[in-house]
Amino acid sequence: MAEEWRLVDTGLCDAFHNMALDEAIVVARSKNLVPNTLRFFRWQPSAVSIGYFQSMEEEVDTLACDRRGIGYVRRRTGGGAVYHDTDGELTYSLIIDENHALISEDFQKTYETLCSGLVLGLSRLGVPAEFKPINDITVQGRKISGNAQTRGMNVVHQHGTILRKVDPALMFTLLKVPNEKIRDKLIRSVQERVTSIEMLLKKEVSFDDLKGALSSGFEEAFKVKLVEGETLEFEEQLAAKLKAEKYGTRQWNFKR
Amino acid sequence: MGRAEYKVEGGKLIKVQLSRKGNLIEAIKITGDFFLHPEELIEDLELKLAGHPLDEKALIRLMKTLVEKKKATLLGASPEDFAKCIMMAGGDGG
Repeated sequence: MAEEWRLVDTGLCDAFHNMALDEAIVVARSKNLVPNTLRFFRWQPSAVSIGYFQSMEEEVDTLACDRRGIGYVRRRTGGGAVYHDTDGELTYSLIIDENHALISEDFQKTYETLCSGLVLGLSRLGVPAEFKPINDITVQGRKISGNAQTRGMNVVHQHGTILRKVDPALMFTLLKVPNEKIRDKLIRSVQERVTSIEMLLKKEVSFDDLKGALSSGFEEAFKVKLVEGETLEFEEQLAAKLKAEKYGTRQWNFKR
Repeated sequence: MGRAEYKVEGGKLIKVQLSRKGNLIEAIKITGDFFLHPEELIEDLELKLAGHPLDEKALIRLMKTLVEKKKATLLGASPEDFAKCIMMAGGDGG
């Protein structure tokens, strides 16, 4: 019988809660309270997340975000700034015991292995995706998914985004640009380098269909069975604490 | 205050902001979209670099030693890339 993993869909939450819950699941996994987990989630309000090493002031136009009611948060993972549009993208997290056979000591290899589930899932929708090192998934050379991984507490945590629809002009009103003169150029360059499911299939794919396809992709790639479950009380309580003491604080979000 | 940005070919972007005192780094902040595990090592590294000479080879050695000692992993940028960006930020034009 295939190994069983938990599938949780935590729906629409704000940026602080989303990042806090990811860490709470990592802690729960490290204490063996929960099995390996695939989580799907979305962001409401829409939000920008930045990589652990990025500077909030340098990357994000926080005033523009505030004016539009858009959130911003620092991730526990490295990588770049991402705009998580409520309707434009789906985010997933994988939380896996570091000793699992899928996990290599080599981060690059592990990215490829874990992303293979997304690649298969996207191909089921008719999107000919491929993994592109270091941490991207592309279609015909254009990025459709970015992913970030970290380890700690003997747990591997990878989260990433899949673009359903993309609006580069909005992205660059929220992200800082080095100077106004090159804003249009940056927007055009993103239009050339990024794609979305809607652009490729010329139709909208519902979140349920997208999650269904990705779930089967992960099951097939990892040879596991995903069992729908709920988050534990422990995870919810820890998430609330991490939101209050870490992800929701200025100290964390502006620390670099 | 010296600043530099360095995009690693096929890799990530490193940004360095530093103040210098003679040939020494006084204070430094390294940001960017690279990956370093464990993440908190960046703060250790910045502290270690304060007071360190602006010498590319010595900077590479310091970073390599730290990565080895802490069993850390760098993705998208190497110790050489960081050293190069630090030297650029410390340059007289910076």
